[in-house]
Amino acid sequence: MIINFHLNGKVTSIDTDPMRRLLDVLREDYKLTSVKESCGEGECGACAVLLNNVPVTSCLINIIQVDGGNVITAEGISETPLGKLIADSYEETNAVQCGFCFPGFLVTSYHYLNNDPDIDEDKIKWALSGNICRCTGYRKIIDAVQLACRKLADQELDHESI
Amino acid sequence: MKSKPRKDGRAKITGKCRFLDDYSLEDMLHGYLLYATIDKGKIINISYPQDFDLNEFTIVQASDIPGQNIVPEPVSDQPFMTEGEVLHFGQVIMGIAHPDLKTLMSFISAIKIEYEEKKAVIDVQNCLDDKIYQFGECMHISHKHNDEKYPEHLKHIEDVFYTQHQEQAYLEPQGMLAEYDLNNNTIKITGTMQCPFFVEEAVKTIMGNTVEKVIVETSEGIGGAFGGKEDFPNLLAGITALLAYKAHKPVKIKLDRADDLLITTKRHPSRIAIVSYTDAITGEIEAVNIDYRLDAGAYQTLSPVVLHRGILHVSGGYDLPRCEISGFLHQSNTPPNGAFRGFGAPQAIFAIESHIDNISKAIGKTPLEMRQINILRINDEMPSGQVIKEDNLNECFERVLEISDYTNKYKQFEQYNKEHKDKKGIGLVLAMHGGGYTGNGEKILKSKVKMRLDQNADVQIYVANVEMGQGAHTTLSQMVNEELNIPLEKVNVQIPNTGKTPNSGPTVASRTIYIVGSLLQKLAAQIKTELKCDDIADYIHNNQKVFPREYELSFQPDPNDDFDDKTNQGIAYHDFSWAACVVEIDYDPLQYKVKVKKCWNVLDIGRVINNDIALGQVYGGVTQALGWALTENIYKKGYPRTRGFTDYTLPTTEDTPEMMVEFIHTESAVAKGLGEIPMNYPAPAVRNALIQATGIIINDLPLTPERIYHEINRSSL
Repeated sequence: MIINFHLNGKVTSIDTDPMRRLLDVLREDYKLTSVKESCGEGECGACAVLLNNVPVTSCLINIIQVDGGNVITAEGISETPLGKLIADSYEETNAVQCGFCFPGFLVTSYHYLNNDPDIDEDKIKWALSGNICRCTGYRKIIDAVQLACRKLADQELDHESI
Repeated sequence: MKSKPRKDGRAKITGKCRFLDDYSLEDMLHGYLLYATIDKGKIINISYPQDFDLNEFTIVQASDIPGQNIVPEPVSDQPFMTEGEVLHFGQVIMGIAHPDLKTLMSFISAIKIEYEEKKAVIDVQNCLDDKIYQFGECMHISHKHNDEKYPEHLKHIEDVFYTQHQEQAYLEPQGMLAEYDLNNNTIKITGTMQCPFFVEEAVKTIMGNTVEKVIVETSEGIGGAFGGKEDFPNLLAGITALLAYKAHKPVKIKLDRADDLLITTKRHPSRIAIVSYTDAITGEIEAVNIDYRLDAGAYQTLSPVVLHRGILHVSGGYDLPRCEISGFLHQSNTPPNGAFRGFGAPQAIFAIESHIDNISKAIGKTPLEMRQINILRINDEMPSGQVIKEDNLNECFERVLEISDYTNKYKQFEQYNKEHKDKKGIGLVLAMHGGGYTGNGEKILKSKVKMRLDQNADVQIYVANVEMGQGAHTTLSQMVNEELNIPLEKVNVQIPNTGKTPNSGPTVASRTIYIVGSLLQKLAAQIKTELKCDDIADYIHNNQKVFPREYELSFQPDPNDDFDDKTNQGIAYHDFSWAACVVEIDYDPLQYKVKVKKCWNVLDIGRVINNDIALGQVYGGVTQALGWALTENIYKKGYPRTRGFTDYTLPTTEDTPEMMVEFIHTESAVAKGLGEIPMNYPAPAVRNALIQATGIIINDLPLTPERIYHEINRSSL
């Protein structure tokens, strides 16, 4: 079956089994390997992508569900001004450890900063609670998102979406 | 103490860093493991499904092994693949490979195995209670112990503590890629692992003399390990190599999360019984007897080493003048338990710290007083006879009391709990962790490191220690950068590869910075002396002809470090790291639920190289320990096997307390071990805080609402 969708800002179409997981299509057919498989049941957020501007776990999405939709992965996000600002903040706080869960965190924090960039710790915790990280204890991840909120408040970013 | 940015930061944040499953080769087959789904018994028959063409599959089993069917371990008792006998669920029967992963998985799930089942030991408590399940050699430490009866006035207190399995839950599941080069008759392994030289030995063992050479390299990124990628990769690499050898094609195995949870190594469940004799008036502990038991699982593998560290840490940060400690392994029919951050010490510290609070409750002293009276001080002896030469534990202790305002809070919470339905509690603990291998381990290991200075004054570091998230490759580079005064971006650790890197030992035991980093620093200092020059870059520029040049150095033990493996007397660890911690909890009596609010940590890890990376280790270790303390459990009575993160409950951002971390003596000469100590102390701190909140003594982990409910109802009967 032919599925048409936007992927990281470009129109694409793929002829494939409509029940394949979005995760597998992104990794295998598009070689977008920032999308990681960890739990495979929607618990950990390592495979998070934006679908129509909402973070979803791509292991629970069948490719047919994205027909006509808009998918953005960490690869796409890290090319945007806001994505770069967030990646800078993660880098400056030395938040990353093993890094396997981080593309997922980048996706969720991008969504948070794009919608309600509030520095409040509880709000950040809630927004990121669908992403599991086993290395960092989340402290520096929260620090990084707060830093990104401050940076965003200090500068006018070009909010063009991809 | 400079927090330089991590070298691997950007690539990992943006997803450019390649982890094992991101590797793909031409003609590559997907491999997987077929394993037993009973706990104990014998395989009677295996039948393949009819609707598949068997010729499409590469299948290996025990009878295909050209070398030895034994995974090399401290005790080599586990086969790569079963020869018929099943001792645990998850025992590997076959490795199978096919070009298409979906076909492979359908084929494997359609294979029918008939078993003759036997009665298995699965219940941890039953296994640890009953001496008939003991296996392997027991270990003893006897310190100034005699059989005299203790005076009547000493308060005699007995406790038994149980702790449960814990899954490492690295976010990246286990995986391995094997390539067989027919022309040169060599095997190359790429994988997610902590110990490339262990994996090399394992592949050589299974392949025997059939291949000329085995080379093992780690993948670019290793998605967390925590001990879980210390020994299971040996088995996985062996089988993947055999598949690639038989298929003459590259084979990649990546475990599903469910299988990773079901069949890989876990933290050892423990049963620790402590009997102590305390002077009820002075609060001084006069003598203790400790019976320390671990459930090793179906095979011993590296469990004796965990047991050894456990019994050497079970006295905790206390001066126990007379003591007798015995350590035993028990055998159950669960997958072999293995390495996990702390390596026997978290169980030990949980028991002793809980026991100290139990004594305080029994004799009417406060938890603070018990610690002030019995804390290990300078010139005190540990049970191994090792004399304490520094007062750093005391300094951590005093500092944590100060920054947490412990004394006032303890009183405030006593009052608060009288006036409110919801409760508060504060817990106080001490901890230590010995850096590097236990006893004579480092002496035997003789780690070797190598450095290459290039013509453009780049420095390449060759060590076998992997970057699995802990920041080792940035920190090691920083140690060399500081000594040689060459910019950090020009100093890099190469990806460990057993063909290129010397054996600087496994990435375990909080030893990477402490042992390997110190060696590199020493080597860098030697290079400066040899070249008679402080500006190395300038020297290289003026003497281009002699570069690139390689330098090597091997570990030299301190000649005064003597340890007797039989009596366990002597210097068990050349350097201990020390910590003191205070935890504040809220307790909701309606939901029987603990919420950790704040956690103060003061640690002596010696010199701090990169403050951010060091903080990250503490934050992460504490959080992992809180998971062990409160929610994480693999085998739950009356509940099916844990198959995923839906029923193995890991801490999320919502469970993260406010954390305050201070390091003391950060400018010391030696950078001591850090990776494991944050795992050792938070669980008993939470448990002790819960005593203040509820008045109930609970001696088992995890502190789930179910357990708390049960204990509170039991005690009110």
